[in-house]
Amino acid sequence: MRINGVYIDDTFAEAFSMKATRLIITAIDHYWAFRAANSLTGFASSVIACGCEADIERKLDPSETPDGRPGIAVIMFAMSTKRLIEQVQKRVGQSVMTTATSACFSGIRSDEMISLGKSLRFFGDGHQTSKRIDGTRFWRIPVMHGEFVCEETTGVVPAIGGGNFLVLAKTSRHALAACEKAVDAIGKVHNAVTTFPGGIVGSGSKTGSKYPFMPASTNEAFCPTLKGVVNTQLTEEIGSVLEIVIDGLDQEAISGAMREGVLAACSVGPEKGIYRISAGNYGGKLGPYHFHLRSILS
Amino acid sequence: MSALTLTLKDPPDQRVNMSPLVPNRLQGKSLEEIRNIRLAGSRQDLTVGKLFNVSGEQTEHIRMLHGSPMLDAIGSEMTQGLIEVKGGAGDCLGLEMRGGEIRVDGGVGRWAASRMKGGRIHITGDAGDFLGGALPASPVGMQDGMGVVSGNAGDRIGDRMRRGILVVEGNAGDYCGSRLLAGTIIILGQAGSAVGFAMKRGSIILAAPPTRIPSTFNSCGHLKMEFLRVLFRHLSRSQRRFEAFNAFGPEAERYAGDLAYGGKGEVLILDNVLTGTDR
Repeated sequence: MRINGVYIDDTFAEAFSMKATRLIITAIDHYWAFRAANSLTGFASSVIACGCEADIERKLDPSETPDGRPGIAVIMFAMSTKRLIEQVQKRVGQSVMTTATSACFSGIRSDEMISLGKSLRFFGDGHQTSKRIDGTRFWRIPVMHGEFVCEETTGVVPAIGGGNFLVLAKTSRHALAACEKAVDAIGKVHNAVTTFPGGIVGSGSKTGSKYPFMPASTNEAFCPTLKGVVNTQLTEEIGSVLEIVIDGLDQEAISGAMREGVLAACSVGPEKGIYRISAGNYGGKLGPYHFHLRSILS
Repeated sequence: MSALTLTLKDPPDQRVNMSPLVPNRLQGKSLEEIRNIRLAGSRQDLTVGKLFNVSGEQTEHIRMLHGSPMLDAIGSEMTQGLIEVKGGAGDCLGLEMRGGEIRVDGGVGRWAASRMKGGRIHITGDAGDFLGGALPASPVGMQDGMGVVSGNAGDRIGDRMRRGILVVEGNAGDYCGSRLLAGTIIILGQAGSAVGFAMKRGSIILAAPPTRIPSTFNSCGHLKMEFLRVLFRHLSRSQRRFEAFNAFGPEAERYAGDLAYGGKGEVLILDNVLTGTDR
């Protein structure tokens, strides 16, 4: 299978179950809402060492937010609800509440609700008050900028992490140009995010290592500098591989984001150094979700 | 199907407890059964058929024509459906109401929405004292839901109210929000003296400065109260008549109090009510 001359490997991306929540962060303007969201989603590229994976989903107009101010929607993913609770409390407390003029609301409802303002309220040191509006409780925490308003709980939903595809290119400059286009295209898909810096992974990993203390290590089969050393997946003309990892709230979001991303990357074409699209998997043994590139793109 | 319509034959000469006539208690009853329901009177009991002409069959929607200030406890313990009252009602409208909606085209007596736990009440006329307030010896008044009065309200509205939202589009009497435990009271007209007296928590939101604020309240200055954005946004979306709230800004002078009762309550006197400027 080829798209715009770019060869599509007959392989699949292997993804696994996660738990996720969406938060709506508002502030006096989009700049400050973004500063809070950017801080919250910092160091949240991979659950391997960050505790969670998180990214900005999209900008929200004032008409879409609970307090009528400009906002940003972020989605946070973790391997369990317990982990998600920890990360939500830490990150909202340290990154959102500390941002001037910010407020934080739940962006998703479900049967499983976890603490948001319910835990953060204690920062008010006894001066916090709550307000229940139409069945939803909001905590009002007095802070130095005025009042930090935070919804009591946020919903947790089953989600999927680890949707991915690899862009195999002539050089890293070529791969990066294609991946930037892909990330832009994925950004238009709702319910899906790319949690790595700029949405692109420069050092894709495999599980395990020769060192027992390392849970993950370099994916040598796709490392161009090891082509002559290991059982490589790369052909002679390929000098750089970048990966795009996608987390989403459901299979449709992941497959939709993969399709848009791959099509955008392929639009660059072989004449500009994009030769192949592949995907990362563990032989189908690790994750229950398999996203086959060719069926997604057909 | 047409609404179950109860047309008052003559104004009653005694107070009548109307609590049996709510949709959840009339489900599955025939017109004859409804006519034979006994209503407690302050002097003697009487039947529905003696007091009203009864017609229609949809018990989820009850219309009472020619209301009277002698008809008490309309919508008491109501859980669903709609009650419309044309011409006013007596005391304890919506007492312990848990769901559904009551619309009164006229005024009502005392203790409307007392111990209300859910649903919505709209009174187009005036409401008497203790709107959403606690009955004598009762520890709490309104406990949830929403009450709206398009006219004026009497004294001590929201007395010992615990949760929910009361909106008075006209004026309120003295001791508005007295002993308030929590919840939100909004007065768009003028509030009387001693607003928030002995309140513990909760918010009393005033569009105009009240006649007098108790000395046990301290001003925190003119501030942007961020939660007002959420509240006004919800109200403006909840019903068409509240669309004007969308233009309300969050700026208000905040009085914390009652400091003799912990000081976790607040009286907010709104700035920029009509313009919503500087949001």
